[in-house]
Amino acid sequence: MTTIRSRQEALLMAHLLRRAGFGATPYEMDRALSMGYQAVLDDLLNPDHPDVIPDDLIRRYHVDQSDLRSGGGAHWVYRLVMTDTPLREKICLFWHRVFATGTTKLIQNRVVTNQIDMFREHGMGRFDDLLVELSRDPAMIMWLDNQDNHGSNINENYGREILELFSMGVGNYSEDDIKETARAFTGWRVVNPDYMSIRMRNNTARPYGYMSWQFEYDDDDHDDGEKIILGQKGKWNGEDAVRIICEQDATARFVSRHLYHFFVADELPVPQWPHEDPKDPEAIDVLCRSYFENDHDIGAMLRTLFESDFFKDGGSRYARIKSPSEMVIGTMRLAGPIDLPSEETYMADAACANMGQALMRPPSVEGWQGGTEWINTGAYVERVNFAGRILNDPDKQGVRDIIDRIKALSGQSTITSDELVDNCLEVLGPLEVLDTTRHGLKNYASKFGDMKWSDESLSSEFDRAAVAIIQLVVSSQEYQTI
Amino acid sequence: MTTTTFGLKYVTNVGFAADFGGRGFSLPSSMAIRADGVIFVVSRGKSSTKNSNGIQMVTKDHDFLGQIGTYGAGLGGMMWPTSVVLDSDENLYLADEYFNKVTKYDREGNPITEWGTKGSGDGQFNQPSGLLIQDRLMYVVDSRNNRIQMYSLDGNFVGQWGSGGDGEGEFNLPWGISDDSEGNIYVADWRNDRIQKFDSNGNYISAIGGGKTSVLDRPSDVAVDPDGNIYVTDWGSQCLLVLDQPGNILETKRGEADLSPWSVEYLSSQDDERKARESFVPVYKADTEDPSEVSARMEPYFWDPVAVELDQDGTVYVLETGRHRFQIFERI
Repeated sequence: MTTIRSRQEALLMAHLLRRAGFGATPYEMDRALSMGYQAVLDDLLNPDHPDVIPDDLIRRYHVDQSDLRSGGGAHWVYRLVMTDTPLREKICLFWHRVFATGTTKLIQNRVVTNQIDMFREHGMGRFDDLLVELSRDPAMIMWLDNQDNHGSNINENYGREILELFSMGVGNYSEDDIKETARAFTGWRVVNPDYMSIRMRNNTARPYGYMSWQFEYDDDDHDDGEKIILGQKGKWNGEDAVRIICEQDATARFVSRHLYHFFVADELPVPQWPHEDPKDPEAIDVLCRSYFENDHDIGAMLRTLFESDFFKDGGSRYARIKSPSEMVIGTMRLAGPIDLPSEETYMADAACANMGQALMRPPSVEGWQGGTEWINTGAYVERVNFAGRILNDPDKQGVRDIIDRIKALSGQSTITSDELVDNCLEVLGPLEVLDTTRHGLKNYASKFGDMKWSDESLSSEFDRAAVAIIQLVVSSQEYQTI
Repeated sequence: MTTTTFGLKYVTNVGFAADFGGRGFSLPSSMAIRADGVIFVVSRGKSSTKNSNGIQMVTKDHDFLGQIGTYGAGLGGMMWPTSVVLDSDENLYLADEYFNKVTKYDREGNPITEWGTKGSGDGQFNQPSGLLIQDRLMYVVDSRNNRIQMYSLDGNFVGQWGSGGDGEGEFNLPWGISDDSEGNIYVADWRNDRIQKFDSNGNYISAIGGGKTSVLDRPSDVAVDPDGNIYVTDWGSQCLLVLDQPGNILETKRGEADLSPWSVEYLSSQDDERKARESFVPVYKADTEDPSEVSARMEPYFWDPVAVELDQDGTVYVLETGRHRFQIFERI
């Protein structure tokens, strides 16, 4: 018998697994509940096992993902679906949204994939280290033209964006700070900058395919003069600029608001942040304190966030619209493992793009704003069609598990149409839905009447009914939120 | 006592990234060399660019002779081609791991027949990855079924051996296949990091590599010269290895391609790229030890070497998927 307490635990656990991961299959939910909230959070933040993704298989069987000229999104999709370290992947999606870097300009996918790998390694560490790695990242250097940032002639692009978009936000620095920060990053470039730039500009893989880029520091091209960055004077290099930036209260607030926006509740679009208070100022204060008390450690901030009342309270549940990647990946994980090679990964990557989030191809350096940006008529239809298509086969391992669990929950060999709906919502979350939604689902399911699975024919009939209800549930507005 | 020294020297390379068809290759996966010197290279192509699928015909002297086959599901079509081989009548055979079939083309490149469906039964495939013809018998590496199947050249099932595992005669996603002058068969047992040697009936003889300290790292293909030297495209380390029969390494090549005539011709029409290349440093100290990433940065290096072939003169050809070319080496 389900107690009120265990019901609340299940709802909270489902909330955590949706936000810190991509939802849970029935078996993952069982395992999580047996571990308890704190142990699950520990595992998410510090997985004690290596990532099991078989890169060799991806490279062999998805040949065009091996050189990663294209197919970077599909390559990532496979990892997102198959990973057993979901928060690590989620934080990659988070930083990809903040530090949006696109193959649209860079032409090749490999360097962006390498950037995502860097997020995987540093994304839950110290923000200072992450910003230094970002500044050294070849994809970022080429994306924001830092290969053209010379000691004798600065290019302000990276200096501006590291302050505006990556750390502090508009209104917290001056135009002089931009110039001085740019000077600090002079000489930070890639190997063979001239040839690599021209190949990128000409969009050419010729003669022998794309070449991945490597960071290079050219001391001769670095402006070693004195600089004043955010009030601090010295012969600063890039690492010094990052240190100074990360000491700022504005940086703590900016990072905190981004984390809240991604993991707790939809905020206003980032360009409005300088003019509008956060949705929950106290939550931002809590996260800021965590930033400074934990030496700017992002993992520690995430722990603070997931242990906070503002996260655990019912008010934050379903307070975000699922991003296309969250919707697509979560649904695919429900359907079960994908084989290699598979066209499903390409299809899923394309679906994300059609819903408005082309992985590795953000619309601009400002990334995706999220929230209501994700939903319009076309995108919603795409979401519903995709989820229905992925979960339409009772022979898929994940769908089979869901159906079997729906049966098991009934506790007998027969089920009413109302029970079918209730059990389905339970297994697919538990998913909390409005009464009107539940009523609509039950109204539709009533045409199936009472069902049994005592022989092959009845069992097939039940499978079809269950799949129909599963498809309706994933079409609901509640499933489109997180 | 006499000792034989073994060495290879780089000669040239043939290739060019041809994403949209035309002269060059696109993610080539296999090659075969005809007695008259025509070299057949099959391009798998990008998933987004279908017209680069096909079997390109070239010579080692940089002649481009055209293409056989194209993307598609019909007879003669291909999607994820993995292996190409010639019989003694110079018919051509192509394995495709998407359609799970083998297609036979005549000497003129006309498709004649095809066989295979997805499955694990006799005459079925689950991602065929390597072909070998010996004495009118075709050996097919049935990769995901972890077995070798034998067929007549008309596609009639003859027999099979192998199963999943890491014991003698077992496989873990095998890839390429070849034979030696005595008719023994060598299989690149890819995920077991070894080359297994069998007689022509599939009886296990020996193995090189395997285990945690294997000398090999995900070998993709193998060839054997008349002296019994074994050439391995060691896909994991991104090298060509040459080993003797006991498994001692005689030679290691990382790749050293320069600009081929096709590439020089291309650059002659691209003023800005040619000028920028004047300061280009093709090989430098990498800040990573990942062989694949190093290959992705260093243009002369092998990048995903997937096939090694020997011609009748003993010239060595190493095909690289990532760089759309093959590098040619000769014995010294």
